[in-house]
Amino acid sequence: MKRFRYEYGASPVHLLVALTSLAVSAWALLQVFDVLSGPGRFLIWLLGAIVVHDFIFLPLYSLLDRAAAGALTRGDNPSRLRIAALNHLRIPVLLSGLMLLVWYPLVLSRSPGGFDGATGMSTDIYLGRWLLLSAVLFAGSALLLALRARGLRAEE
Amino acid sequence: MPEVGPFRRSFWKSPLRGPWLASFLSSALLPLIVICSLTGFLSHAAYNPDLGQNALFDEGVDLYFFDWPTGPTWLYALTQGLHIITGLAAIPILLAKLWAVIPQLFERPTARSIAHGLERIGLALLVGGSLFVFATGVLNIQIYYPFGFSFVPAHYYASFIFLAALAFHIVTKLGVMRAAFRERGVLRPLREDLAHTAPEPGLEGRHTSAPVAAAPPTMTRRLLLGTVGVGSAALAAMGTGQVVGGPLRKLALLSPRGESFGDGPNDFQVNKTAESAGISMDKVGADWRLTLEVGDESVELTRDDLLGMEQVTADLPIACVEGWSTTQSWTGVRLSELARMAGAAEGAEMQAISIQPGGPLRQATLTGGQAAAEESLLALKVNGADLSIDHGFPARIIVPALPGVHNTKWVEKLAWEVKDSASLPNPSGAA
Repeated sequence: MKRFRYEYGASPVHLLVALTSLAVSAWALLQVFDVLSGPGRFLIWLLGAIVVHDFIFLPLYSLLDRAAAGALTRGDNPSRLRIAALNHLRIPVLLSGLMLLVWYPLVLSRSPGGFDGATGMSTDIYLGRWLLLSAVLFAGSALLLALRARGLRAEE
Repeated sequence: MPEVGPFRRSFWKSPLRGPWLASFLSSALLPLIVICSLTGFLSHAAYNPDLGQNALFDEGVDLYFFDWPTGPTWLYALTQGLHIITGLAAIPILLAKLWAVIPQLFERPTARSIAHGLERIGLALLVGGSLFVFATGVLNIQIYYPFGFSFVPAHYYASFIFLAALAFHIVTKLGVMRAAFRERGVLRPLREDLAHTAPEPGLEGRHTSAPVAAAPPTMTRRLLLGTVGVGSAALAAMGTGQVVGGPLRKLALLSPRGESFGDGPNDFQVNKTAESAGISMDKVGADWRLTLEVGDESVELTRDDLLGMEQVTADLPIACVEGWSTTQSWTGVRLSELARMAGAAEGAEMQAISIQPGGPLRQATLTGGQAAAEESLLALKVNGADLSIDHGFPARIIVPALPGVHNTKWVEKLAWEVKDSASLPNPSGAA
């Protein structure tokens, strides 16, 4: 057993679970190649999702966040007001961005023919709704910050 | 590869990352994924893919064939509503979880052992698989298909890849979660204010995403998790609005089925309009006939014939696989009554075929139980008025707890299976 752990790096159960998991995934891929007319595209989406998320999306929003944080909380001991301002900026932007990420096909009318034709409704309303929702989030956050500002300054 | 940029552990500055944060997000994510997966597989079963031409693709292995029940009437609205609501709610938590563990992607060495190498292959499948199923699902409910492959089999089989990788991940990381919760408590870090928000120290003897060179905190863990929770709750509310309908439909602010059509009897959500289904008006006019067919025998009925039969009214939902529902009051003839008229055997499966010229869902086969249920109707009217063309005029199927698209619209033929024993006029064998 010790020898196995040394050579493999974990217990035999670990290896069995790993093999089970990989076997199921391989089976699913076989099914995809059997059933789907565009199996290559399936693989591109499966692996492309990792690339797009891990190497583009996440670094991009991290950089934006770092830029905002750098501009607002530079120096060794940023004031509590500045830290609060950073978060009052971050949170509505994050929520607004999340809504756009999830609903962008409607908000940006990516599939007007498909959606309008099938449902008898129009994607026209979504951009306006998203903008208004974002406006409410930004304004609400700004208002809260203004209300908190005096208290935060007093604590310094 | 030299240890530069993100490969240096000191590159990762956030003081919030670490095994506790990852574990907390995972514990929030797991129940949602469990519900989403179970209801997803249930939806597959609800289509009764073993009947007629119901299967949307050739089956590999299906271990859970059973006849989908006809009650409670809202069963499919519930299971599919949960599928979409939990799926939407999981998205912000999944993104936060991926953020929390991103330093692990750049771990050096790439594989410390064979076991670790296998874990990392599993992680690639987990990240790719999870993003794949969530992305395709979210695009599908918005009727947007930029991916160029068929949604149903792709979403279905990718979920096996995702869940297989998830099971492996859980087995390998359960120890980390236990240790993190034991050392830091499950909820204790949520009580820390900014002054007490310290970097996670990591776990003895384990490789974690805890930072080695953390920047000072600008946010508490509870603020980060609260924001994720608000995003998750907002998406869940948007999903709930279009599942529950009624006054709650207003909650569906950005989800696809948030619009109200008006107050008329036919003013409710349409899955596929007559125009998009290619229904020509001359086919649904006065010349329309309904054919009832059992084997070689057939009967033709006009709409007036149908209106002359006993009319039954039932309040039943249209529950769409895309996660929206709408309950209406339907009036028409019982399918069981039409089966008797056609001379079909008791409990025979029934296929409904539409005028719709193409597409796999121009027809659907019901189980014997569904075809015989008290409230299973060939509806002619809704809310007291004739069906509109978009809702399936001259006649449509409506069956309790059936997935929406199987409630065939613009029906032109009902065909019952021929059961050998029943087709004999004298089963006692008086030859």
